[in-house]
Parts: sequence; structure tokens; C-alpha cells
Amino acid sequence: MVYFILKRLFQSIFVMLAVAFLSFSLFRFVGDPVSQMTGVETTVEDRERLREELGLNDPFLFQFARFTGDLLQGDFGYSYRTRQPVAEMIADRIPATLELGTVALIISLLVGIPAGVYTALNPRGFVTQSILLTTLVGVSIPTFVIGIMLIFLFGVQLGWLPTFGRGGTVQIGGWTSSLFTVEGWRALILPAFTLGVYQLTLTMRLVRAEMMEVMRSDYILFATARGIPWRRLHFRHALANTMVPVITIIGLQFGGVIAFSIVTESVFQWPGMGLLFLESIRFVDIPVMGVYLVVIAFFFVLVNLAVDLLYIAIDPRLRVKEAA
Amino acid sequence: MKLAHLLRSTALAGIVVLGGTAAQAETFRWASTTDPQTMDPHAVNAAPVLSFLNNIYEGLVRRNQGMAIEPSLAASWEQLEGENGWRFNLRQGVTFQDGSDFTAEDVMFSYERASSEASDVRSWFAPVTEVRVVDEFTIDFVTNAPNPLFPDSIANFLILDSGWAAANGAELPARDSENFATREANGTGPFMLSSRDPGVRTTLAPFDGWWDEAQGNVTEAIFTPIGNSSTGLAALLSGEIDFIEPIPLQDVGQVEGRDGFKVIEGEETRVIMFGFGHEHEALLYSSETEGTNPFTDPRVRLAAAHALNMDAIDRVVMRGKIEAASQLVPAGISGFSEANAERPAYDPDRARELLAEAGYPDGFSFGLKCTNDRYINDEALCRAASSMFAAVGLDAELTSVPVRNYWEQLRADDFDMYLLGWSPGTFDAEHPIRFLLHSQDDEARLGSWNFGNYSNARVDELLPQIQQELDPATRQTLIDELVAISQEEVAYIPLYTQPLIWAAKENIDLTQRADNFFMLRWVSVN
Repeated sequence: MVYFILKRLFQSIFVMLAVAFLSFSLFRFVGDPVSQMTGVETTVEDRERLREELGLNDPFLFQFARFTGDLLQGDFGYSYRTRQPVAEMIADRIPATLELGTVALIISLLVGIPAGVYTALNPRGFVTQSILLTTLVGVSIPTFVIGIMLIFLFGVQLGWLPTFGRGGTVQIGGWTSSLFTVEGWRALILPAFTLGVYQLTLTMRLVRAEMMEVMRSDYILFATARGIPWRRLHFRHALANTMVPVITIIGLQFGGVIAFSIVTESVFQWPGMGLLFLESIRFVDIPVMGVYLVVIAFFFVLVNLAVDLLYIAIDPRLRVKEAA
Repeated sequence: MKLAHLLRSTALAGIVVLGGTAAQAETFRWASTTDPQTMDPHAVNAAPVLSFLNNIYEGLVRRNQGMAIEPSLAASWEQLEGENGWRFNLRQGVTFQDGSDFTAEDVMFSYERASSEASDVRSWFAPVTEVRVVDEFTIDFVTNAPNPLFPDSIANFLILDSGWAAANGAELPARDSENFATREANGTGPFMLSSRDPGVRTTLAPFDGWWDEAQGNVTEAIFTPIGNSSTGLAALLSGEIDFIEPIPLQDVGQVEGRDGFKVIEGEETRVIMFGFGHEHEALLYSSETEGTNPFTDPRVRLAAAHALNMDAIDRVVMRGKIEAASQLVPAGISGFSEANAERPAYDPDRARELLAEAGYPDGFSFGLKCTNDRYINDEALCRAASSMFAAVGLDAELTSVPVRNYWEQLRADDFDMYLLGWSPGTFDAEHPIRFLLHSQDDEARLGSWNFGNYSNARVDELLPQIQQELDPATRQTLIDELVAISQEEVAYIPLYTQPLIWAAKENIDLTQRADNFFMLRWVSVN
């Protein structure tokens, strides 16, 4: 088991190196950092000097080697835009993104799984049909449109919830959390729902399809014949068996939720890593973009590892295989 | 190092939480699209930074509501006798926000800091040859030639306390890594920095010891950057912020249509124009003009100018908010040439005639390069202009790129015609002449934004004369001559001055200055 985890973490280094290489080879197309760092009145020679100081005139492979070398030594560099240490900038923004992603995931599971079970057990009901239709509309509209619509409905028209930002944060150690105040939750609910809506639909449809499949299987028929109560049958026997593929997909999706919270964060001015990344693109802040992408790659590796471990926890058959 | 950063950001966040609970009557919340990258007044010469820091720091001179220069930390100034340059008599009894006294030493220190290699504002001091502290409250700036505009040109030269900078290791602007002045501030201005969370929230509080009298009543100011314009509009309409700048043209109706909100409109000093590759030997984006560049012929450039219908552009693209431009600065800027206030009329027939005269009766195709995120509705403007050019036979192949890629491509001469907006930093007609009309000369630091390298010997000769002329009437004659040349040769096609569109709650009184700077000291919450 420990060997398995270590092996995966070791592999992750190569994944991150590959991501760093790919992203670095694309940065030159993002734009010219020096034009973004200096004012209009800065002379050509001052600009050239800055370019030299930043090492932007060095060959691509040399720049890449310097970046990864510094990274391996724990030196994440300094932002071109704010001159702050990149490690600190990213660390400051991680809590906001993780909390947003986690709450989005929880919302999608809390709503998606029961809705999936319900629609599987009552496939022809009116409620089922309306749920299916609404969620279809939900995934068809782009995230930013959903976000703007929610903002104008709940923020501007009804005035119930804040329209932007992260209010009511509490500092716990190095972690800024918005989970401990009413104000924090009020600011969190719209972006989390916006981010989770796609996940929610996916979860629901997946649970529904798996559940309908399982309900047709022999052991359910047998269990029904034994007279096992419906509640126990549905939730103990049927649901547990639908969960393995559901966890795979949701797990993999969670990496995506963290990585692609960029749109939601931008619409809600949510001060997470995605928003930082977006600002960094605008200013061609190469150090921040590079570190962000490497961190995101690391998240993906972690999430995949967690998914593999969850399998083993849920499905006893895999445990046997692993032991053998 | 790392631990210190962590401690500081923890302390900052603590202040944010506490500050949120102390509700006050005159709290003013505002938003803009860009967060000032730094609190260091010499590190980045960019409008978002200098506009923000003018609330905290002050210069020797400052601009009033009508953009005129008035005394600030210098109570008065006069030309030096017997040599070129200016003497500034400093205001006495001014203190910095940390309590230390303001003296000529601080000005000297700030000059050295702002003109150092690590500074991004050092070009302001290019004409300065020597700075002398005469006594505690008198300082001389010696220049290499008569320089009547020098006081105007340093309105954004903000003064730091030498003792504070030395005690905190911020003697130089941060270049590679941040220093104390990147996130802390200590000015003499009307507002103090009370907390800063970069990219998220910055709060300011009035400085009780300010030497001047505040005209506003803000007791706490909270700034939040909001990058997405729809979100910004929602934040204003929901009442969470009191003021936002700018808002997109298409949202003006939304704000005006609601009770309790207002739109504040004005003309910015930025002139939008088309430029040409004067020096290019051939067009890059053209198949039929093999090896020639028709734009080197002034008749072709004039034809392009006659093809543009500014009224239609105003109506269709800019919703009736623009002022057509005849030269590179708008009317009202000092040095504006009244004698040359006519722009080429919309006259497609004349344009076709001119093209025929120049030997292109069927027109030709060329590449037009534009930004799509720099100026108001820039891409739509270029699309409209392309169809107007096409109507006279000028077939523009339009390429729109984000501004982060744009300057690099222009510097690499990758254009046949291009879009440019220019705001005169000194609010004088000399500024665009220096950067856009003088021939490219890296050594003399002239013509650095003259991408197409328009070059005219007489223009190059006139610029130093304009810079050094002390008599306003003579100076204006020189400028008039230069503007006439640039119009006759169609060095650029000036299009219009861009509007400034801000939005606020009805109960907010504020002043919109033409340089798009936002001064908290003029804000009143009623």
C-alpha cells in the first residue's frame, strides 16, 4: 500500500515536469511581459535592460531549466506583476479555491445522488421528467451565463446574496476560511452552485443509469423475493453497487473543478487561484502562470490517487487483488 | 524571509476582519477593473498605480479638478536665474503619515530613487542634470536646456520619506523581488493605507495631519478590483459598491434606467488614431501590390482619411459619446492647435480620386492591426473602419490581438496600418510629438512609440524648439507649424477622443478628471 502511494507520488514528478515543459513552450505566445511591466514613457534601452535582467533573452531550454531547477530547490520565484513571492501568492489563494471546489462538490453530491436514485426508481414520473429537463438546460448554458444570471437574480433583483468576492473570512493558522461565518456562506453559495451545476447533472445522470442497471440484476430480484424492505434494498444493496463508477467519474471531475474554477472565480471575483491565473495571463506574469499550472497538475495527481484509494475502500474485491 | 511574509499577510488579514465590523457612516466602496500592482510610486509608470497612489502620496505640484497645475508640496516655484532649471520653495510644516517632517532631503532622496535604474519613471528626469538642496525648504532642479514644462511634467513624481525608506530597506524601487514599499505606504497625502490584500481588497483611511483641507467627507475607503464588467455592474446595482470606473458603453442604459444611480461621462484626453508603416518597403498583407507600399504616398494616406465617416462610427460603434479629433491631442490641452482644428471630411469620392491619382484606381488590399481589449470597443471600431475603407477600394485584412501581444508585434513591424490610442502624459501637445511624430531615435530617447517611423526633418527640428521656448505665443506658432505638417502629410489619421464613463450611486459626489485619475479627496457621500 505504502509502496503503491510512493510510486504514484514519484510518477507525479514526471507529470509535473511534462506540464511545466508544455506550458513553458506556450508562454512565448501569451505575450511580452516587459511591455506589461513598464509604462509608455519607459525608454527602449530600459526595456531591453529589464528583459536582460529577467533572463527573457535566454534560449527557451535554458529558461525552462532555470525554472525547474529553482522549483526543485523550493524557489518559486517572484511575480513580474506584483513582485511578490509566487509561493506566497498561490498559497494565499489556495484556500479560496479549495473551499469553493469542495462545497461545489458537496452540493453536487447532496443533490445529485438522491435525485439520481429518485429518478431511477420513478423513471416515468412527472417530477423525474422535469428534473431531467431542467438539468439538461442547466448543463447546456455556459457557466459564466449561469453565474451572471444567478448574480442578477439573487444579488441585484432580490438582494439576498452578495454579488462578488469572499466575505466574512476567518483566519485559522495560514488558512483563510469562509466556512465559519454566515457572511462567508452567503458569499460562497452562488459561486459554489454555479461551479457545481455541471457536476450535479453528471452525478445525477450517472447514478440514475447505474441504479437502473443494478435494479435489473439477479441479486436484487433475489433480495426482493427474500422480502428485504425497500429502503434497505435500495440504499444498502443497490446504491452501494452503483457507487464505484460514480466515484471514478466524480473524482476525476473534481480535479477539473479545481482546475477550471477559473470562469466561476472570474464571474464572482472570487479571490482564488483561478482568478490569480487569469490576472497573470493578462499581465503575462510567467512565473505565476508556470507555478499555477504545476500546482494544478499536482492536484490532478493527488485526486487520482485518492480515487484509487477510495476504490479499495469501497470494493473488497480490489483489496484481494492488491494483496495478491 | 518566508516566515516574515506569512506573518505579515496574517496580520493584514486580521486587520481586514476587524475593519469589516467597524461600520461608519461615510464608508466609500469603489471598484475598478485593475488592481494597482504595487504601492511603490516609482516602480511602475502605469495609470492604475499612479492614480491610486496620488491619494496617499503627493508630488511637488498637483493637478486640480480642471487638470491645471497647482502648488502641492512645493508652495511656489520659479525659473532659476543664470542657468536652466527650476527652484521649488517647499511647503513648511508638512508631515508624513508616520509623523516625520517633510524637508528638501526627502525630495532629494525621492529624486535619486525615482531616477535610479530600478525605477520605471526615470524618463521624467531625462532633462535633469543636477539637483541641489539649497536649504531645508528649497531645492533646485537644473535642466540641460530651458524647460518651461518641467513642473507640469513631474505632477506624478511622488515624494517618499527618506528616513522611512532607509529604516525599512526600501531605498530603491523593487525590481525583482518586493520590498517594504511594495505593500506599505507612507506619504504626505490625504489618505493613509490601512490594509492591503493585493488583488482582493485595499482600504484607506483619512490622514488627520494632512496639510490641506479635505473637500470630501470619506472616513473609510475600500477598494476592490472587479475584472469582469458584468460583475462590476451587478455589484453597483446591488448597492455593494458606491462607484465603479469604467463601465462598458453598452451598460450605460442599464445604469441610467435605474433610480438611485447615475452615469458620469466626460472626454478622456486619449486620442484614438490609425498609424501607417511609413518606412516599410512593401505591404505585408497584400498580394497585388508586390514590393511596393502605397501608404508611402501622402495622397493614399489622405484617401484613407477621407474614407472614414466619423459620424457613423460615433453613432454605430460609440453610441454618440465621442468627439472627432483633428490632431494628436484634443481641444483644451495646452498647445492644441486652433489653427488646424479641421479634420479631413468624410468624402468617399475624393478618396477614390486620390487613389486614382496615386496610381491605384482599383484600390489595393492591406493588413490592419488592432487591439481587442485595450480601448473602448476597439475591435468594433476597426471592423467599422474596414468596411468604410472597402467602400473606396481599400481592402483591409483585419487582425485583432490582445494588448499583451500587440506592442511586441508593432515593434516587430508586423502591420501595414495599425490602431493606437495616446494620452498625453504631460497634458501638453509636446508629449505626442516627442513619442509619436519625432523620428525613431533610441539614443536621444525620441519617437519610441512611432512604430511606423514617420520622419520629417522639419518636425525633428521643431521639437527641441517647442520644448525650450519660454514665450507661449512663439511656442504656439511652432506647434501650429508642426501640426500643419503632420496633417498635410497625414502622418496619422486622428479619429476621436475616447469617452470616460464612470457610474456611481446618486448620493455620491465626485470629480471626474480627464486623465482618468480618481481622487478620493473630492468624494462626498451624501
